[in-house]
Amino acid sequence: MKPEQELELQAYLDGELSERAARRVADWMAMDPEAQALAAELRMTKTALAGNDPELAVPESRDFYWSKIRRVIESAPPAEPNPDPGWLVAWRKYLVPLSSLALVAILAIGIARFSGITGSRDPWMNLTEVESLSEHIASHTFRSRSENVFVVWISPQDQVPEETPATEEEDDIVIQ
Amino acid sequence: MALQQNKSALNDEKLVRSAQRGDMDAFEELVARHRDKIYARAFSMMRSEDEALDVSQEAWVKGWQRLKQFQGESSFVTWMTRIVINLCLDQLRKQKRQKAESIEQLAEDAGGVERQMPVVTTNPTEGLERRELRARIDRALNQLSYEHRTVLILHEFEELEYKEIAKRMQCSIGTVMSRLFYARRRMANLLASFKRDELSP
Repeated sequence: MKPEQELELQAYLDGELSERAARRVADWMAMDPEAQALAAELRMTKTALAGNDPELAVPESRDFYWSKIRRVIESAPPAEPNPDPGWLVAWRKYLVPLSSLALVAILAIGIARFSGITGSRDPWMNLTEVESLSEHIASHTFRSRSENVFVVWISPQDQVPEETPATEEEDDIVIQ
Repeated sequence: MALQQNKSALNDEKLVRSAQRGDMDAFEELVARHRDKIYARAFSMMRSEDEALDVSQEAWVKGWQRLKQFQGESSFVTWMTRIVINLCLDQLRKQKRQKAESIEQLAEDAGGVERQMPVVTTNPTEGLERRELRARIDRALNQLSYEHRTVLILHEFEELEYKEIAKRMQCSIGTVMSRLFYARRRMANLLASFKRDELSP
C-alpha cells in the first residue's frame, strides 16, 4: 500500500473526505484485505482513546492553587484605558462608503462636464479617439446628443503618419 | 465559606457573567470547578507536573484577562482548554528550539517508520478496566514525541479537525495527517506491547 493510500484511508475513517472520495476509498477497502486490516487497527486505536483521556487532579489544595493565580492577576498592571475610540471607530465604519460616494460624485461631475462638451455647438469637440485592438486599424468616434448621432470612422493604420523606422535591433526582436 | 457555597450553586454561565463584571469570587469558583481538567490537559502535553502546574495557572490568568472576549460560542471549559493548549504549544515550541532532536524524532519526521510496524490484529485493550486502560494510554503517550502526542490529543481528545490542528500546530494538513497516522500506529503497537508484557511470565 502506498503512503498516500494509508493517509487517505485514515482520512476516510476520520470523516475528512468528500462524499465522492469516501465512496472510492470504501470500494477499494472492500476489495483489499491489507487495507481492511489497517483500517481495523486504526479504528481500534481511535475507539480505545475515545473518552479515555488520562484523568489527573491538581496536586495542590484549592486555596493554594488559587492563591498563586490571584496574586498574578492582582499584581498585573491594570489595563491601559484606551483613548475613547468612539469617533475613530465611527469614522472608520463610514470611511469606505464615504470614499465610494466621493468617487461616484467625482465621476458624475466629470461625466456631466463631458456631456456638456459633447452637447456643445462645436462638433469638432466631439471628435475623440477610442482604443483600437488592432495595430492595423485606427478608429475615431463622433457623438452628438443634440443631433442624436454616433459615428465611428475606421481607417487603415498606414494612413496614420509613419512612425520612426525601427532600428535593426528592434527588427531582430520582431523577427524572433 | 457561605459565599463559596452560594457560588457553587450557580452554573458556569452565571459565574462567567459575574466574573466578566469583575467578580473574582465567581472566577475562583470556575477555577475550582475546572482546574483538574485544565491541569490534566496541560500535563498530558507537557509530561511534567511542575510545568503543567505553571502552564495551567498561567492559562487561568489569561482566562481572567480575556474573559470579556468570551462570548459563549463554546462552553467555558472548552474555551479555557483552548487557552491552555495554546500555551502548552508555545512552551513546547520554545523547548524544542533549545533541544537537539533525537534520532528517533528525525526518523519519524522523515516518514516511513510506521511502515515497519506490524499491524496489530488483536485488540490489546479488550477486557481492560477503564482505569487500567487510561493508565496504559497515559504510559503510551509518554513514549511519543511531543508532535505525535499533541496531534493525537488534539484529534482524539479535543476532537479537532485536521485543518484546525494544522492551524494550531503551525504546520500543513499533510503533516498533521502523517503525524496522526504515525501516532496512531505507534499507540497501537505500544498498547500491544504492554499486553504482551502483562502476559509474559
